[in-house]
Amino acid sequence: MNILEEITEILAEILDIENHNISPETYLIRDLGVESIDLLELAVALNSIFKIDVNDDEIFLKKLRQYITEAEQQNKDILQYLAENLPFLSRKRLEEITADLEEGPTLKVEDLVSYVERQCYEN
Amino acid sequence: MKFSGNRALIVGGSCDLAITLAQCMIKAGLFPILTYRSEKGLKYILKSLKTSKREYNALSLEFGNRDSMNSLFRQTDDNIDYMIDFVHGNFESLIASADVDRIYSYFAENVSFRAELVKKVARIMMKNKRGRLIYISSSAAARSNHGQGFYAAAKLASEAIYKNLGLELGGHGITTITLRPGYIDSGRGRRFIGTHTHEVLNKVPMKRALTKKEVAETILFYLSDSAAGFNATEISMDGGLTAGK
Repeated sequence: MNILEEITEILAEILDIENHNISPETYLIRDLGVESIDLLELAVALNSIFKIDVNDDEIFLKKLRQYITEAEQQNKDILQYLAENLPFLSRKRLEEITADLEEGPTLKVEDLVSYVERQCYEN
Repeated sequence: MKFSGNRALIVGGSCDLAITLAQCMIKAGLFPILTYRSEKGLKYILKSLKTSKREYNALSLEFGNRDSMNSLFRQTDDNIDYMIDFVHGNFESLIASADVDRIYSYFAENVSFRAELVKKVARIMMKNKRGRLIYISSSAAARSNHGQGFYAAAKLASEAIYKNLGLELGGHGITTITLRPGYIDSGRGRRFIGTHTHEVLNKVPMKRALTKKEVAETILFYLSDSAAGFNATEISMDGGLTAGK
């Protein structure tokens, strides 16, 4: 199984839903109603299956709004600042995220895949 | 008594009470992993547990040292069913006369470090979908005393960490208990009782201190499947010390 398939399996098991409800474009919180305890379970499973260190704040974009506030307070370019602090996300994805903030939590399945890919590469 | 798990991490494993617990565990077929912070502690464990090394393990853990924690977890193979936490640094000082640097370092060591330890053990237990953690607190957490404010504050903060963990992960098979023993005829307690015998006996309705065997066997019971219904709670075991005025 590739990383996306593994993550899909894990999410489907944690949330007790069918795999076909999950795609790279799926929002974890907006679409699937994932709660904090589910995220914790997901982090533990990713650590166990991929043998990678998982920083919950990073992978689940918990500090996203804090980073944006910091960039604004320091008169820094927001996208550049986010790229420095969330290096596993592409420029294109960061642009999508910053344009999408009004709609609610922006975390997508594809973000998890990007994080795991980077951690596996660094290992 | 029946036990669902086998491997028990005993943090602060070189104190008399921890060693007595380890002896009870070995008899019950469990595998204790005792942590020690110095060579003296290791020697004491080896001398006290006169049994085959294959029946237990002893690993270094220097409370407050994060590298030491990482090293410990590299050696436990993500395989911990129980954790019993005995560690607690002493800090006797009146609040208004305490050294400020000592206040910061004391809480970093006894609360923040413990929180990281509990987090890591909880994540290991989540992988295995089961686990039981017992925090050995003290009646000092419930009963204020001159000079014990920081000690009690750190104990209460630690209790809250354990309690919340049981609340958050009880549904995932991971449960917690805080045990608050009163005066124990062991270690630090024995020294205090030795110099304040009359005062201690007057305070305790049972008119005696607890024995380390009594406390160890109680901990073992709370690890057993029979005690599975206890979670996210504090249990006093103090001979009635904190019940009265």
